[in-house]
Amino acid sequence: MTMTKRSRNRLLMKAGVILALIAGALFAGFPILWMLSSSFKSNGEIFEFPPRLLTEDFSFSAYISILTDPTKVRFFVNSYVVAIAVTLLTLVVAILAAYAFSRFEFRGKRIINVVIVSVQAVPPITLLIPYFGLVVVLGLYNTYPGLILTYMVFTLPYAIIMMTGYFNTLPRELDEAVRMDGAGSMTALWKVLVPIAVPGIVSVGIYTFMIAWNEYLFALTLTKTEDMRTVPIGIQLLMGQHSYQWNEIMAMSILGSIPVLILFLFFQRYFMGGLASGSVKS
Amino acid sequence: MSNDARTRGALRLFGVLAVAATVAATAGCSASGSSASSDGPVTLEFAQWWEPELPAGALRGIMDDFEAANPGIKVNLLSGPYASTKEQLFAGAAAGTMSDVVGLDGAWVSDFAKQGALADLTKLMSDAGYDDSQLASQIKVDGSTYMIPAVNFVYPLFTNDDLLAKAGVTAPPSTRTEFSNAAKAVTALGDNTSGWILPLSQEAPNGIQNDVMSWVWASGGSMLKDGKPDLTNSDVKSAVEFVQGMWKDGSIAPGSFTMKEQDKVEEFGNGRVGMMIDSLAHINLLRKNDPNLKFSISAIPAVDGFSGERGIPYASWGLGVSGSSAHPAEAFKLVQYLMSEKVNSELSTKANAFPGNTKSVPDFSGSDPLFKTAFDIYKKGYPANEFTGLPVAEELMRTFDTQFQSLLNGDQSVDDTLKNAQSQWESQF
Amino acid sequence: MTPTSVDRTRPGAGRLAKARRGSEPYAFILPTAVLLTVLMIVPIVMVIGYSFTNNVITNKHPQLVGLQNYLEILGDPVFHTAVINTTVFTLGSVAAHLVLGLAFAMLLNTPLLSRLTKALFRTIYILPWLFTAAVIAVLWRLLLSPNGVINYLLDSSGIGSGQIEWLSNPSLALGSVTFINIWAGYPFFMISLLAGLQGIPQDLYEAATVDGANGIQKFFSVTIPQLRPIIISMLLLDLIWTSQQFALIWMTTGGGPINVTEMLSTYTYKLAFSRYEFALASTSAVLVLALSMVLAVFYVRHQRARD
Repeated sequence: MTMTKRSRNRLLMKAGVILALIAGALFAGFPILWMLSSSFKSNGEIFEFPPRLLTEDFSFSAYISILTDPTKVRFFVNSYVVAIAVTLLTLVVAILAAYAFSRFEFRGKRIINVVIVSVQAVPPITLLIPYFGLVVVLGLYNTYPGLILTYMVFTLPYAIIMMTGYFNTLPRELDEAVRMDGAGSMTALWKVLVPIAVPGIVSVGIYTFMIAWNEYLFALTLTKTEDMRTVPIGIQLLMGQHSYQWNEIMAMSILGSIPVLILFLFFQRYFMGGLASGSVKS
Repeated sequence: MSNDARTRGALRLFGVLAVAATVAATAGCSASGSSASSDGPVTLEFAQWWEPELPAGALRGIMDDFEAANPGIKVNLLSGPYASTKEQLFAGAAAGTMSDVVGLDGAWVSDFAKQGALADLTKLMSDAGYDDSQLASQIKVDGSTYMIPAVNFVYPLFTNDDLLAKAGVTAPPSTRTEFSNAAKAVTALGDNTSGWILPLSQEAPNGIQNDVMSWVWASGGSMLKDGKPDLTNSDVKSAVEFVQGMWKDGSIAPGSFTMKEQDKVEEFGNGRVGMMIDSLAHINLLRKNDPNLKFSISAIPAVDGFSGERGIPYASWGLGVSGSSAHPAEAFKLVQYLMSEKVNSELSTKANAFPGNTKSVPDFSGSDPLFKTAFDIYKKGYPANEFTGLPVAEELMRTFDTQFQSLLNGDQSVDDTLKNAQSQWESQF
Repeated sequence: MTPTSVDRTRPGAGRLAKARRGSEPYAFILPTAVLLTVLMIVPIVMVIGYSFTNNVITNKHPQLVGLQNYLEILGDPVFHTAVINTTVFTLGSVAAHLVLGLAFAMLLNTPLLSRLTKALFRTIYILPWLFTAAVIAVLWRLLLSPNGVINYLLDSSGIGSGQIEWLSNPSLALGSVTFINIWAGYPFFMISLLAGLQGIPQDLYEAATVDGANGIQKFFSVTIPQLRPIIISMLLLDLIWTSQQFALIWMTTGGGPINVTEMLSTYTYKLAFSRYEFALASTSAVLVLALSMVLAVFYVRHQRARD
């Protein structure tokens, strides 16, 4: 009797959770579904009323025209090069800094922390002109390193904050024991701490990759030739002076989101674990 | 391991990064910069947003012809998205990396010229012994030319034949009264149709130029007096009152306050709007999206009983030369080439625009018959765009836009709107 | 390792930390310091410098004018509007990010569903995070246009009627852009909180059950206190990030209609690239920076309290 009541309650709760999840999925996924649907339509049909999810003129032409255009394919290659380099370099630099913040007390630590947090608050649009001048002076204009170093500046503050939190959750005895045995800090960090911190590193890495992949303003300003442009610029190039290539904008965005989605699926397990320890247990 | 050794370990890692950065910097130096060494061939950079707007390969083809005709000069086309072109030029000018030849919009010229970013074309023309009589127009700031319009996109009235016929309107309206009656009749058809469409987005406030001030110019009016703002005159007031009347009638399609030119053409193309003032550049797009759409082109209606010449709004693709170019003479050669009779015809034909060289005639043979109609309207009137060459032209449109939206929203009277806009404009001159 | 090994208050730790004071930590933060100094601090200092001049870039000979720009910006009624709108937009977005993120995280953490089902929903829920701001703006303009699919769905389901001007009606626009921003930004909270939920020890819930707590009581007495540190860090970071949101607002409403969605970011942009008043734009940016510094100090204090 009580068992059936309990299992009925359980069933009701399960139904409730599934309903709520579906409602949430509609909120989250419907716009994306519409984007996907629009990418298969012709430009005129996108504005048809009443709107339809599927049309009889279903077509892959937007995807074909992007994937067969070497210039646009190059945009994807550039985005990969830049995003991967930014991710790896940000991780290395952030791990070093986070190690210092997590394991050492030193003069100026607090001020440096305030600076690291607050530099991300300056509106990038106001930095554009002085920053651009600087990049030209440094000879980094229209180069991969120019973009890579720029994005590192954007991603480092967050990466350092997260990595510091993550290292704080790891027992100090682990690396101290190694150092007591006569090994250096670098050994303690790279041979002991980093291997345990892989989940945290993955979570920071994915976030870094997404920022580098989606950035537009500086990507546009700091490059000038087509062989240096990235995907967000390619998307914006489809928004013309007189008209937009709506279906190609959608198709290129879908294509652009796939690598991040794959990364997320691939690292999903780590991602969850990483953020959990990085943000809570400290 | 000593403290020192540990520090060295960390430093070594940083050293690697530093070396990487230095290598990158050196690579960067060799990759950037347009000017070749003095005895090699000259490579010009031509920054514009036109290439993606033209048929694939069209602009490159013209550049190849130029290179063939001018051995020793190479042209590097740099294309960017239109919406960000202005910021990019500005940043480039500030850092001294502006391309040798740049595509310009008339709304930016005054500000770039003041920044010292553009070369004085009057001087370059006289240095080159160029006869400027064939140029349809030149955009001057303080008496010197800084931009030459290469091609012009005119904005006539587009009317949806089927919708107008259904509403009992037999011919495109030619006066304001006919226009507002036709708009009312089309709106009365129901089914989400509207008589007219008015894009007033503040992101791209050029609707003020093309869709609002165009009513002033079409009736021979002006928003300036001796080059200074004159928004409170009767011509501007009657045009503003006219648009406000259309708004009160409910004849304007919903969504105006955030609508852009790109949305306007899609609404018209889907048969939801009876009439729009729009760029000729859209004819091919409309045909491609819906080959069955029947529409006509006519001059923008004027005040009742007006018999003078009608101003027809236009937007240009303009050419300018960078003030910091190392090769101004070669840069001007490219400008000259693009403005020459034959090349200018070709460019205007490919862009679906009208030529900036008075002798050039676009080739209508392969194009839509409506281009010929539009060319006749264009020849009968005069090109009018008073925003071209004004200081902070886009800001002027935007402040007017904000005031105008307040008016339409019922927050203020026509007189207050114009008075406020006038005082805001005056502070910018 | 023993359970006591996480205890950092034991006497030896302080002595060890002291012994390691020296140049070493500086070497570790050197790459960060060099990068941030050259590529971030230098431009920021230049912007601060601009804010004290009459104008730069368009002006060949800038002159120092003291605090004049600050007085002008602080006295500009549009700036006040922008501050109010930014506050509404930011607080609305951040609060909704938290509530939605927490709700979705709780749903996705349910033991009632299989791992595969949860992974599927997790993937759907992450989608809004994957797109660049320009595309989010274009997409939502399509969805929310008077003849768009949202109005169509509302109309045909009988909830709403006709061509609602979500973005161009002055009384709806601020709500609409906030909604779009909520949609675009909640996954970050959701993922972090979901991760946080995985880290809450089960015995805390078991103890609460023994004490006779029901589901809601457990949520408030166990879940929320356990998530508190991460919630506070996220709130502070999100406040900083949201208050400088530009592309989304600029490409949907441009700060209009009239000025109901004018934010500090769009206001600053217009000063710089519409009026070419770079000194004033820099002033506005410095004011935003100063505001964020206050938040940053709070943040760092909070971080220290957690250590």
